[in-house]
Amino acid sequence: MNKYFGILALYFISIFGYGCYDSPYMQGKRLYEARCQNCHMEDGSGLGKLIPALQNSRLLGTSGMACLIIRGKKDSTLQNNQYVVREMPGFPDFSATEVANLVNYINHKFQPDFRERTINQINKDLAPCASDF
Amino acid sequence: MRQIYTYLFAVMVGFGCHTEEKLPYLGNSTDDGENVVYHKIRPFSYFNQDSIVITSDTLKNYVYVADFFFTSCPSICPKVMKEMLKIHEAVKNHTEVRLVSFTIDPKRDTPEKLKIYADNLGVHSKNWHFLSGEKDFTLDLANDFFVVALEDPEAPGGFDHSGKIILVDKSGHVRSFSEGTDSSKTDQFIEDIFTLLKEYE
Repeated sequence: MNKYFGILALYFISIFGYGCYDSPYMQGKRLYEARCQNCHMEDGSGLGKLIPALQNSRLLGTSGMACLIIRGKKDSTLQNNQYVVREMPGFPDFSATEVANLVNYINHKFQPDFRERTINQINKDLAPCASDF
Repeated sequence: MRQIYTYLFAVMVGFGCHTEEKLPYLGNSTDDGENVVYHKIRPFSYFNQDSIVITSDTLKNYVYVADFFFTSCPSICPKVMKEMLKIHEAVKNHTEVRLVSFTIDPKRDTPEKLKIYADNLGVHSKNWHFLSGEKDFTLDLANDFFVVALEDPEAPGGFDHSGKIILVDKSGHVRSFSEGTDSSKTDQFIEDIFTLLKEYE
């Protein structure tokens, strides 16, 4: 009986282990699912040229992400004679911690050479848009 | 052992029958003793993204897939559009099928704006119409498709609506639907389109 219990325990530990390995940024994941996923999609593939894909985005891992999340984006550009509309709602209700969780989740999921951004870095990143939230 | 074979055979036949099945007619139908009158989409007339008039009459030789959306929609529309793209990809070589996306925000979504939207979506097909028309009529028309669409200043983007994708046959009857927000339902929906096409072979 004890032996079986041990095996069972190992089994559960391995499941939990996998869970943790799969997404170390659970808070960020939840924020992504609630606020980003409808447009950027679960796999970050976006929607044509209407909603940019997150995979291979040049913004990944940069200091610009934090303020983009807070401010959103409202610009339309003419590219190759084609009008590209890129609008993103801002999320000024996010706290710095939430921004940090979200940024780290997105970078971890979509950036191959992931490096965690600390809350100090995020606070610095947020300085340019501090008056917006 | 023999029992198992019999069972397996029955299951296979069952599966076979399932794909041969005729799609149901959805909605209320009335039977006056002689004829059954099925629920039908009311006649409509809209402009598409190329400012060409598209009416229910234009579509009478086609099986069509419909959804309701608006371009500035921040909630479920992108997800539903993604599924519409998947459907478009699956049926684009079938000349008898059309896709029809009605905007519920015609004030902002003019044919010109819809053209830009379709271009950016990567849709250059003549088989997919993005339709703009009279707003109140469209909100009523949505009911015929069993879609809830209403103006609501509290809702994100100003409109509240469900993300259903609807399959309509050549006579204007609703034959299948899918929740555009649930991508796991789309494959079955695409199969339904092909099942419906078999009725016209």
